[in-house]
Amino acid sequence: MNDSTTHLTEEERQTLADGTIAADREAAARAHLLVCAECADDVARLEQLTMRARHLEDPTSDLAELWPGIRSRIENAKLVTLAPDSPARRWRRPRPMLMTAGLIAVLVLAVWLGARTRSAPDRAPSAQGGGTGDTSRSVVFVSDSVRAYEEEAKILLDRLELTRSGLEPGAAAAIDKDLAVIDSAIAELQTAIARDPRNPALQQLLATSYREKVEVLKRVSNAG
Amino acid sequence: MPVLRARHLAPTANVKAFLVAGSLTIVGWDRDSIVVRGRLRPGDGFYLAGGDSAVKFGVENRSGKRDPMPSDLAVYVPRRGRLSIKTVTANVTASDVSGWFYSVSGSLRFTGSATSLEALTMSGNVDLAVTTPWVRARTGSGYLLLRGSPQDVDVATVSGRLDFAAAGVLRAQVVSVSGDIHYTGTPARGSIADFSNHSGAVELALPPSASGVFTLSSVSGPIENGFRSVRPAGSPTQGLRITLGRGDSQVIVRTFKGAIRLKAQQ
Repeated sequence: MNDSTTHLTEEERQTLADGTIAADREAAARAHLLVCAECADDVARLEQLTMRARHLEDPTSDLAELWPGIRSRIENAKLVTLAPDSPARRWRRPRPMLMTAGLIAVLVLAVWLGARTRSAPDRAPSAQGGGTGDTSRSVVFVSDSVRAYEEEAKILLDRLELTRSGLEPGAAAAIDKDLAVIDSAIAELQTAIARDPRNPALQQLLATSYREKVEVLKRVSNAG
Repeated sequence: MPVLRARHLAPTANVKAFLVAGSLTIVGWDRDSIVVRGRLRPGDGFYLAGGDSAVKFGVENRSGKRDPMPSDLAVYVPRRGRLSIKTVTANVTASDVSGWFYSVSGSLRFTGSATSLEALTMSGNVDLAVTTPWVRARTGSGYLLLRGSPQDVDVATVSGRLDFAAAGVLRAQVVSVSGDIHYTGTPARGSIADFSNHSGAVELALPPSASGVFTLSSVSGPIENGFRSVRPAGSPTQGLRITLGRGDSQVIVRTFKGAIRLKAQQ
């Protein structure tokens, strides 16, 4: 079960997704998810479904909202995994020449970017933004990481709500206090970014705040 | 009720432990065995299960109807073992061990050397005085103190104070949201350190011999340069770049509204 050749059982997938898997099986099952994309995808789909199902106010309400997820899982189950030597897989196998060309392109780009960075004049830093020619690129990169952290935080917050009742009261209070501090910082940064959207320092601070929010929420999973 | 257990254990074995309350003292030693000594309260029991390559131990209430009472355990494990330790309120004191340590509100304290160390707590204090290639530590409202000689450091608090007094650090990421960060020491040659704070202050106390390029920026917090003899580039209202000595290290400090202070140690 905990290797890439034997998939998780349906029960293991379901209990992983809703968090009820037996403690002595969880580590092996999660280890399998790391090496098996198929099981990992399926468990992720089930987690989404479970989450949404639990958020429905009325458990007997219309299933239409859940149906796309269920349908997606059914459709995925119909997919046939290709044998290692099937034509389609051979077609997808990376060609050595293409890989070499790609590597050269990456190296050329890296050298070019390095030269640009070195040739830039020594400037004083600006927390107010707008000072350097690389500002736009920085803002885009950091905005992407902000979005990624934000999405991860949303998922983890959903999980927190599912597990909150099982938390020791002291842990719940500590988590709420930490989240309040971080959310306050995030709110201030978002207000500042609304006024100055191209300021990379603000974006970096926002990304850092979200990163710490994700860290706090990850620690919650150990507090139960 | 006294406890004394011992068994053979591989030098690189995995050791997992769970202790709700009390104290856990862990010592890494050069023997291929684990020894646990301690005292339990009536009604609680000690378990130690597993094989030569992995064991787990802890304290549980015999009836299963309540949490176990606080107990104090001293554990000796192979120095090269990988530990995974979790407590709720129990304090952990460990020397010469490596691995993952978590407590909800207990304090985590480390000395000696480690191959890597991860110390996480929601609200407890963390005291790291270790020599290790890699350390990662987090606390929320607790106090985090970094000493010793770690090489690669990733430490953060939410609102707790963070003191950084480690030597020889090559890479450091130091973050707080509202807790003050204090750095005292000499940046290692070739090192890169990144300090970030939202509303807390970042204070760097450096000896006159410090060598590095200090890039200090704050959106609305004040920036104070205590090295009067050094002329910075930029302005205190936007950002300063200060080069000390030959500029052998890089230090970046970024805050939203927290003050940044560069202080010259006497």
